[in-house]
Amino acid sequence: MTTPGRTDGPLVTVLVPTFNRRWTLREALGSLAAQTYANFEALVVNDGGVSVRDIVDRLADPRVVLTEREANRGKAASLNEALAHARGTYVAYLDDDDILYPHHLQRLVETLEAQDDCGVAYTDLYKVHYRKGPGGRREVLGKVVSVSRDFDRFFLCCFNHTLHVSVMHRRDLLERTGPYDESLAVLIDWDMTRRLAFFTDFVHVPEVTGEFYAAVKGSDRLSEKGRQDRQAFIATTLAIRAARPPKPWPKMPDLSVVLLPGDAPAAGDLIRNVYAWTFMPYAVYLPMPEAALGRLRIGLPNFVPVPTPPGADPAARLDAALARLEGDHVAVVPPDTAFGIVWAEDALHASLGSDGRTAFALQREGDSPGDPGFVMPADALRRVREASAGAPVVESLRAAGVTVRPPTPEEQSLRFDRALQQAEGLEQEGNWLRAADCYRRMAEAFANTRWMAYRRARALYEAGGRDADALDLCRDLNRRQPTADTLLLEARLHRRAERVRDAVDRLQHARRILVPEKGTPCN
Amino acid sequence: MQLTAEHVVVEEGLEQHYEVLKELGDCHTSLGHYDRARQCYEEASVLAPEKAGPAVGLGVVELQVTNLDAADRAFRRALDLDPGCAEAYAGLGMVRQHGGRFQEAFDLYMACLDQDADNLVALLGLFQSSCEMGSFAKVIRYLQVYLDRHPGDTSVLYCLATLRARDGQYREAARAAEEILALEPENAEAAALLEEVRRREPVTEAPRP
Repeated sequence: MTTPGRTDGPLVTVLVPTFNRRWTLREALGSLAAQTYANFEALVVNDGGVSVRDIVDRLADPRVVLTEREANRGKAASLNEALAHARGTYVAYLDDDDILYPHHLQRLVETLEAQDDCGVAYTDLYKVHYRKGPGGRREVLGKVVSVSRDFDRFFLCCFNHTLHVSVMHRRDLLERTGPYDESLAVLIDWDMTRRLAFFTDFVHVPEVTGEFYAAVKGSDRLSEKGRQDRQAFIATTLAIRAARPPKPWPKMPDLSVVLLPGDAPAAGDLIRNVYAWTFMPYAVYLPMPEAALGRLRIGLPNFVPVPTPPGADPAARLDAALARLEGDHVAVVPPDTAFGIVWAEDALHASLGSDGRTAFALQREGDSPGDPGFVMPADALRRVREASAGAPVVESLRAAGVTVRPPTPEEQSLRFDRALQQAEGLEQEGNWLRAADCYRRMAEAFANTRWMAYRRARALYEAGGRDADALDLCRDLNRRQPTADTLLLEARLHRRAERVRDAVDRLQHARRILVPEKGTPCN
Repeated sequence: MQLTAEHVVVEEGLEQHYEVLKELGDCHTSLGHYDRARQCYEEASVLAPEKAGPAVGLGVVELQVTNLDAADRAFRRALDLDPGCAEAYAGLGMVRQHGGRFQEAFDLYMACLDQDADNLVALLGLFQSSCEMGSFAKVIRYLQVYLDRHPGDTSVLYCLATLRARDGQYREAARAAEEILALEPENAEAAALLEEVRRREPVTEAPRP
């Protein structure tokens, strides 16, 4: 590694776990050599695979340090081992079959250095679909930016929307998140990214700074293999969603779910539903008589039994839970609550901006009678209850002037994703112009501007008759950062307008992105 | 609201490299860069050996350089890969037309239009073949179907006007020519055709039911 680069910034530790991928590791480490940011250490951990000593030695770069372990202990253990030796202010990642473009580290360091209250930055990566050709060569079938989202804490708790290899974070954040979870076989990266979100904001750099590879058939990626066992995958997802790193959580709301079932069997159902559906951090409080609690066998995490006197009514049981719970928001859950995605998160999202004079209703099964469930700030509910000691819950809310109502669409969580599904539905129906308009409005309301601009350009192209608008969008995207997709779309627009030479120019550019050895690398 | 991994991560781009190469081949063909076009189609067919597109592209290139045997082979290969490939039928029709086998060409164009009623190559080929053979009725129907969907397409409208004139339907031919001139007042061919059918109409056209 002889490429000179910027050396005057903070040290970055790049973690490079590897296991039996000698043929791609060489290329991966080679991409580090070309980094314009030179002040890094690369900690390569061979997780019990065939030795890669010769590959590292050939680099002859003191910044690259190899640890070869005899036993195969998994990726999380490799990352933890590397972290134990890390000295950098920031931590970045490189998998042994991925590639970083030369500006990757520099772009992320510059971004983090410019932030006051943000310890994580991430970029976009190309997902490279490939199949193995003769001699094990990777034949590229396509390079797409499959994920390009601005940070959304609620969404990140539900699904991973950052690619771990694209992430750089402050190393000291790991003191609060704890190490990588070595008990996980898959989603190790999401578990860590999610835990980081408890303590810091993330900043998205909507720029492609590398590539990760996905074989079309017979992928050897552990993450792909792990997903094939669907039950185990779901179990891991739920376990990660239930994870609660040590407090304080400066950036994450804590939802205390108070269950008010009629009897013990109903309590079991409620607890299982909360575990299956809740994606924001939560703890479940079950205020019930001790005898009833004793009959329950709950092996799920985040469960807090709250013994109450025999015969206590729902209000008394809620008061008992309120005295114990630690969350800053509380969900009061009657037995007829309807569970599903965002069952409590919409109300929680609304409650985050609440002044305590509104309780946000949970959905209920059909037209069930009885008191509604709701979410509101815990302190506000405590004040309500103290003011009307012993009164029924709804009565105490009414007496305190608290309105119970569902969240408005503007107060709901995951609004961007709802809008995206609506736009995609319009595409499927062939309503391309309406879909294009949705993408325009989504960019105005939710950012994700680059992604939305591409979607809008594509919809306008499909609609026909709006090629000039589509071309303007494509040109702008390609002026900022051309990708194979945006160049292909612009080429099609030129071709449709019989500007064939312009189309050829864009297609040749796309080709150079897809197969750099066929021409000048463009990134 | 549904939210699954499929909604979050879009699996697109598996054919992107193929599409770039195929488009590039088509563009090179348009520009007359036939060797480059061949190379693109060959690489595209390696990436997607199951697709008929590159074979069609190669067939078009061979047609352009009047290598009819090679074109024939390429279009047949395309049909082997995709028996419903309209472009391959149209290409084979052109090969037959070049060889003066108008009836075969006519049938192949019809087969193409059965798959894709909007295929302009087949429509125009059908028009030319039928002019050679003097049979117009079927062609007129296909042109009308096309024009119902693309009412402003003056090149097809002109074919229709010509066919009607040749079939002795002078009033309809005049109407079609007038329609072209309304859209393109400077269209000299349409103006000449209109003049000709107006000259003939009062004398020769039989009353129609």
